[in-house]
Amino acid sequence: MLARVYLAAIFAFVFAPIVASFVFSFNSDRFPTVPLGSFTFHWYETAFSKPGVWEAFRTSLLVSASAATLSTLIGFCTAYTDFRFGFRFKPAYLALALLPPTIPLVIMGLAMLAWLSNVGLSGTVTAVVISHTVLGAPFAMAVIRLRLSQMDPALEAAAWNLGASEWGAMRQVILPFCRPSVIAAFCLTAAVSFDEFAVAWFVSGLNKTVPVVILEILQGNVDPQINAIGTVVFLTSMALVVMAQVLVMRRTRGEAG
Amino acid sequence: MALRRLIYPMTWRLPIVVWQAAFFVVPLGFMVVMSFWAVRNYRMQPDFILDNWAKMLGRGYFWDAYWLTVIRAAAASAIASLVAFPASYALAYKVSPAARRWAIFFLIIPFFTSYLVRTYAWQVILAEQGVINAGLGFIGIGPFTMLNSGFGAMVGYLTLTLPLVVILQTFSLASVDRNLIEAAWNLGCSRFRAIFLVIIPSAKVGLILGAVFCFILSFGDFVSPYYLGGSKPPTLSILIIDTTKSGQQWPRAAVVAVTMIATLLAVAFAAVGAAYRKPKP
Amino acid sequence: MSGPLVVFDGVVKRYGSVVAVKRMDLTIAKGEFVALMGPSGCGKTTTLRMLAGLEEPDEGTITIGGRPMNGVPAHERDTPLVWQSLALFPFLNVRENVEFGLRMRGIDAGKRQRRVLEWLERMGLKGFEERRIDQLSGGQRQRVALARSLVTEPEMLLLDEPLSALDAHLVVRMQGVLTRLQRELGITFVYVTHSQSEAFAMADRVVIMGHGEIAQTGAPREVYRAPANRFVAEFVGRNNIFEGTVAGVENGQAVLESPAGRLRLPAGSAVSGNASIAVAADRVRVSAGRPEGPNAIRCQLISEEFVGASVILYLEAPDGSEIKAQLGEAELRTLDLHSGAELWVSWEPAAAHLLGGQG
Repeated sequence: MLARVYLAAIFAFVFAPIVASFVFSFNSDRFPTVPLGSFTFHWYETAFSKPGVWEAFRTSLLVSASAATLSTLIGFCTAYTDFRFGFRFKPAYLALALLPPTIPLVIMGLAMLAWLSNVGLSGTVTAVVISHTVLGAPFAMAVIRLRLSQMDPALEAAAWNLGASEWGAMRQVILPFCRPSVIAAFCLTAAVSFDEFAVAWFVSGLNKTVPVVILEILQGNVDPQINAIGTVVFLTSMALVVMAQVLVMRRTRGEAG
Repeated sequence: MALRRLIYPMTWRLPIVVWQAAFFVVPLGFMVVMSFWAVRNYRMQPDFILDNWAKMLGRGYFWDAYWLTVIRAAAASAIASLVAFPASYALAYKVSPAARRWAIFFLIIPFFTSYLVRTYAWQVILAEQGVINAGLGFIGIGPFTMLNSGFGAMVGYLTLTLPLVVILQTFSLASVDRNLIEAAWNLGCSRFRAIFLVIIPSAKVGLILGAVFCFILSFGDFVSPYYLGGSKPPTLSILIIDTTKSGQQWPRAAVVAVTMIATLLAVAFAAVGAAYRKPKP
Repeated sequence: MSGPLVVFDGVVKRYGSVVAVKRMDLTIAKGEFVALMGPSGCGKTTTLRMLAGLEEPDEGTITIGGRPMNGVPAHERDTPLVWQSLALFPFLNVRENVEFGLRMRGIDAGKRQRRVLEWLERMGLKGFEERRIDQLSGGQRQRVALARSLVTEPEMLLLDEPLSALDAHLVVRMQGVLTRLQRELGITFVYVTHSQSEAFAMADRVVIMGHGEIAQTGAPREVYRAPANRFVAEFVGRNNIFEGTVAGVENGQAVLESPAGRLRLPAGSAVSGNASIAVAADRVRVSAGRPEGPNAIRCQLISEEFVGASVILYLEAPDGSEIKAQLGEAELRTLDLHSGAELWVSWEPAAAHLLGGQG
């Protein structure tokens, strides 16, 4: 009983801001408090009447689709390498592959800004895509590697044994086996990119993504538009995450027997 | 022949090496190099001078920011670990596996909600006339000032890290061999003592990992200290942003960044050492 | 059985500093059912994998059907393997699994369809074409794996402990299926196992391997009754092994001076110096009093193990060595068995088998 109360309190703390921003986004008060004001779509209307916000959504979609594609490709290659091959320096190889998420985003932002300005890419959409791929590839790798660890290692050799070349086995066995995790990795890295604000803020220049716009509104005064935009972002990300989760779960369960 | 045999493995091995070398290792390396560059007439020039290091490390406000950041991150790490533990314990041992899976799923959700939006929600909730103070007003206490303080920043840190710490702790607790715990009970160890004598030592690696991730995230976070902690006094991350965004003093920001990475590496190594250290016989 | 299909000529395989297979020479005839057998880590699976081209020998050559196979990649060989884990593709259904090898060989769809149906029918899997692998029982999966490997009509089938995941009653049934298939198809089976009962029940010839070397080859019965060396004697059956020096001749029979006592060697074995003999546990007699004749050792009973209708007694000889005796129900009734009981063991000199050099 006590355990359940404690768990409820923890979940209340974790979900309080999420629920609050959802509720406040439909609340007429500029400074919401209890009791709540009346129901309104006002903040959605104001937020989405600005061309800047639409522009940011377009940029965000472009960035997250591109970064997710690249992350998933690179992540797949890395996961397969780890699954299949042993070689010298493999620990160093894996460290290189998995390290980026442990570097604080502010530092990543500064480093990317400095380096990408140096090569003339700072302030471009490409710069954001590159940065988000660096951050996303380890996640994609982890998701796909997890799937590969459920694969009987004999499966690939069985394909060779039945006459498939290495490339043939990749196409006929590894890829079909990994397909759900590849889609899941794409969704997850897209969601990561769609939410990332720190590095994007440093390198995006005028090509602002949605989180960067939110950050800039936040730097101004209290403005419930953030809740409206945030709710839309949340729903988009959740759609991606749920899709990923469903794909991973369904496959795992289907093969459990 | 030998070369042709390399085509297949290298097709898979090289992409991450090339990409992370070009866009991860080189930028970080460049940042280190940049910390020795000079800024003249608001322009960076390649050089090898120690001015930036001397200027930053020689100033009181840098060290104030440094210790503030370290102490806050350490506090966040300790508080998150302690607050999370009973919850993780309950999830690992007191609920069904299905309930545990759902709880984990719900704890992952926050990672895909905007941290900025959640911070903004806290701003509104914790405000002087916000939801909490209004609620407390009904029962006749308050109002309390919660924003722009260490408390506000801590709420932010926990928002960022608590779900992750609970997840990592739950996984490590759930993977402790149940027989070990039951053996301790069977030998007359009370449930409460078994937590300290059996469970925590067995789950040590995961518990330390959770604390370290919490430290890393809080240490580098700029949103909580800025928007909930009131930005003054600044933390190291705020220092980086202010130095980069307002003054073209990228080399000095790089000094701060390199110091941060060095600190994180030291903490990470110490933690790994603690996690895998064999108990003395 | 006609000419050789597979020839191993001085084949060596190393993994780093570990030698998995040491200088192997082995010939496998066309249409033969050969079992490679030995404890885990003896090199039997490595040998099989080299045949399939999944490992390259470091030295020596393997020829299949007269063709040297060094450097020929796995997918260009016709050496289908039935895997220990079966390695059925979980994302393909039964038909697609069986079809895989034909598709890789570029055989056209109509012909593929016919061959797949023919094999599914032969393996009793008709009507299961569209089933997913996880909807099949263990025995059905086994038969899908066999069909998948045999559908390309190879000259040789490799099997890597294919029955190890099955329940005991299914193992015996699958042994029957495998033996019948091999007789009907007349192709070579190379069967890797650590199970004596599987190997002895099915194979024409067994190859016992230990520490990367062939310890003995021969027909199952021959290997069982006449182990060539100590290693084989310990691995096959339940043998008691006595080592000692030949001390002379008594009544026309050589005598072995061993720590357990003076033991008669089988008639006609002319040796001198050091020698070892093996005595099968089921040829050892146990009695309460001292028996007539040679080879009597007084022992203490340590423990008993029930194996079906018979019992294995574990006894300790005065020198501390262990002696195993397998007795039937009738013999047991005459003895008073309790832990620590004093008993005599003995055997006919002819029951002892003289072992060859180092095993």
